[in-house]
Amino acid sequence: MSPVIEVAHLTKRYRETVAVDDVSFVVEKDTIYGLLGRNGAGKTTIMSILTAQNFATSGEVRVFGESPYENAHVLSRMCFVRESQKYPDDATAAHALRIARLFYPNWDQDLADRLVEDFQLPLTRRIKKLSRGQLSAVGVIIGLASRAEITFFDEPYLGLDAVARQLFYDRLIADYSEHPRTIVLSSHLIDEVAALLGHVIVVDRGRVLLDESAEELRERATTVLGDTATVDRFLSGRDVIHRESLGRVTSATVLGALSPLERRELADAGLELAAVPLQQLVVRLTLHAADTETREVVR
Amino acid sequence: MDEGRALFLQIAESVEDSIVGGTLAEQERAPSTNELAAFYRINPATAAKGVNMLVEKGILYKRRGIGMFVAAGARAQLLAERRAAFAERFIAPLLAEARKLDLDADDLTALLREHAAAASTTIEGTSP
Amino acid sequence: MNRTLAVARMQLVNKQTFIWVPLLIIAGAFVVSWLIYFIITSAMGDAPARGQGFNGASQAALWYFLVIGVQAMSLTFPFSQAMSVTRRTFYLGTGLLAAGTGAVLATLYTLLAVPELATGGWGVGSYMFAVPWVTDGAWYEGWLFFFAVTLLVFVLGFWVATIYKRFGSAVLTTLLMGLALAIVALIALVTWQGWWGNVGAWFAAQTPLTMALWMLALTVALGISSYGTLRRATP
Repeated sequence: MSPVIEVAHLTKRYRETVAVDDVSFVVEKDTIYGLLGRNGAGKTTIMSILTAQNFATSGEVRVFGESPYENAHVLSRMCFVRESQKYPDDATAAHALRIARLFYPNWDQDLADRLVEDFQLPLTRRIKKLSRGQLSAVGVIIGLASRAEITFFDEPYLGLDAVARQLFYDRLIADYSEHPRTIVLSSHLIDEVAALLGHVIVVDRGRVLLDESAEELRERATTVLGDTATVDRFLSGRDVIHRESLGRVTSATVLGALSPLERRELADAGLELAAVPLQQLVVRLTLHAADTETREVVR
Repeated sequence: MDEGRALFLQIAESVEDSIVGGTLAEQERAPSTNELAAFYRINPATAAKGVNMLVEKGILYKRRGIGMFVAAGARAQLLAERRAAFAERFIAPLLAEARKLDLDADDLTALLREHAAAASTTIEGTSP
Repeated sequence: MNRTLAVARMQLVNKQTFIWVPLLIIAGAFVVSWLIYFIITSAMGDAPARGQGFNGASQAALWYFLVIGVQAMSLTFPFSQAMSVTRRTFYLGTGLLAAGTGAVLATLYTLLAVPELATGGWGVGSYMFAVPWVTDGAWYEGWLFFFAVTLLVFVLGFWVATIYKRFGSAVLTTLLMGLALAIVALIALVTWQGWWGNVGAWFAAQTPLTMALWMLALTVALGISSYGTLRRATP
C-alpha cells in the first residue's frame, strides 16, 4: 500500500459554483484508476489541480509526498494531456511528439512510432488541421509513450471511433503490463473501461460518490427481479437506489452484498438476482444522489 | 465476460476449463498474466489474482524466470472438484426449473436416459 | 537536454512566428524603402542625405515582436503545461529565447549598417539599419539600443498576454485604459506646468546607451510583473 497521490478536503470554488466539494481520496501506486462521472462532475478540475495546472481554493494535495505546485521534480514524473489540449499554432503532430520527447524522462520513441502507425496519425499535417479523432490520438500517444509514473488520460477517447478506442485500451493494457505505473483514466463510457480498472472513484457534482476497488464494487449492489409484492417485502429496510415496475413485475437495485443464505432465500421465493454492471451502478447511484438531494431541498 | 461473477474467478475458471478440456496439458506452459490480461482485455492485476488463486489451489506452479506451468495431477484434481460441485452447479438448477414446468423426478430420469442415448449415438457416429 | 533550453526549442516550433515572418517583414520593408528612395533619387537627381526624410522601415519588424511576445504566451503556455513544465521554467526558457531573438536582430542591424553606410544608403539614400542618432556612436551602443528595444516590445506583448490569460479581457482592457488615461494625465500635467522644456532637455541629454538602459529597466519591471502574473495563470 503505497500512495502516490493524497488528496485531503480539496475544494475548488469559482464565483458562483463549487466545482470540487471537499474531496478526499488516495491514489495507490501502479494501479489503474477510473475517475468516473457525468460531464461537469469535476473530473477534469480535479486532475488539473493534481498536476498544478489549476489551483485549489482550499485543501491539500500531495504527489509523491510533496506539493506539486512549481515542483519540477514531481511534475516531470506526471503526464496530463487534457481532452481539448491546445498545441502551438504551427505545430505538426511530429513536432508535438518531438517536444514531448524532450520533456518526459521515460519517453519511449519506439512505442510512439508504433502508436503513430496504429492510429494512422498524419505526422506532417498541422495539428489545427487534424480531425477530432486524430487530435485525440496525439494526446493518447503522448500519454502512453511518456511512460510517466503517473499518467492521466482525460476522456481520451473523444473523437476516437470504436476501433481506435479498442486499440487504445489494448495498447494501454499491454504497456501497463510491461511497465506498471499509476494510471488515472477519466471516462463516461464506463462499461467500455470497466474491466480495465483496478479501482473506481465516482465523482458527482464535485463530490466523491464512490471510492472502491473494482473487485469490491462487484459486491456493492444487486438487482432483484420478480413479483412486486415479494420484491417490496425484501426491499424494506434496505438502501434502494433504483426501482421500476412493469405490470406485476418489479426490478430494484439495492446496495449491500447479499450472503449466500440470503441469496438462497430469495431464489426460493421466486426472485431472480443479477449482478449490477458498473455503468448501471454508477448511473443509478448518481441519479439516486441527485434525487435524494432534490427531495432534501424540497423538504 | 459475465457480469455475474468476479472477473478473477472467471479467468481462473477459463484456465481450468482448458485443462479439463485437454487443450492445456500438464507440465505445459500456461498463459501468463499479461497474455491473459491482453486476451480478455482486463486489468492485469485481476488476471494475476486469478492466476495466483490457481497457484494456491495447486493447479499451476511457477518456474522462476520462465513462467507458470500446469502442475502434475491438475486435471485429476479439477475433475474431482467439478464432480463434487456437479450437483450444486447443474442438478439443483435443473430441479428448480423442472419444478416450474411440473416435471417430477421420474420425468427427469426418462428425459435423461433419452437424451443420453441420443447423445452417445451422435458421438459414435462421429467417432474417429 | 536542460528543460529551460527545451522550452526555448519548443517556442521555436513556431518557426513561422519566430523566424520567417520577421525576416519577411524586414526584407519587405527593405525592398519597399529602397524602391521609394530610388524614385526619390531619380526625381531629385541625387541621393538624399542620411537623416533627411523619415525612414520608417527600421521599425517595421519591431511591432511584429509585440505579436511574437503575445503568441509566446498565448500559443505555447498551455502546451508547456501539458509537457509538465513549471511556470518558472517556461518563463525562463521564453525569456532566453526573447533575449536570443533580440541579440540576433541587433546583430543583423549592426552588421547591415556597415554596407549601408558604405554604399551611401544602397545607392539611393535608403537608410534602414544605420539609424540616425542610434548608430552614430560606438557600434555597441547601437547594438544595445536595438537589443533593448526589441526585448522591450517582446516583453510588452508577453506582459499583455499574461494578464489576459490570468485575469481575462475585462481586466486587461480596464488596465490598458487606465494606463492610457495615466499617460494623458501626465501629458496634461507637463503641459500645464510648462515642463516641456525640461522634458526636451532631458531627452536631448540622452545617448543611445542611456536610452537602452532605461528601456532595459522598463523591460525588467514588466518582466517581474508578468512573472508574478504567470505564477497563478492557468492554461
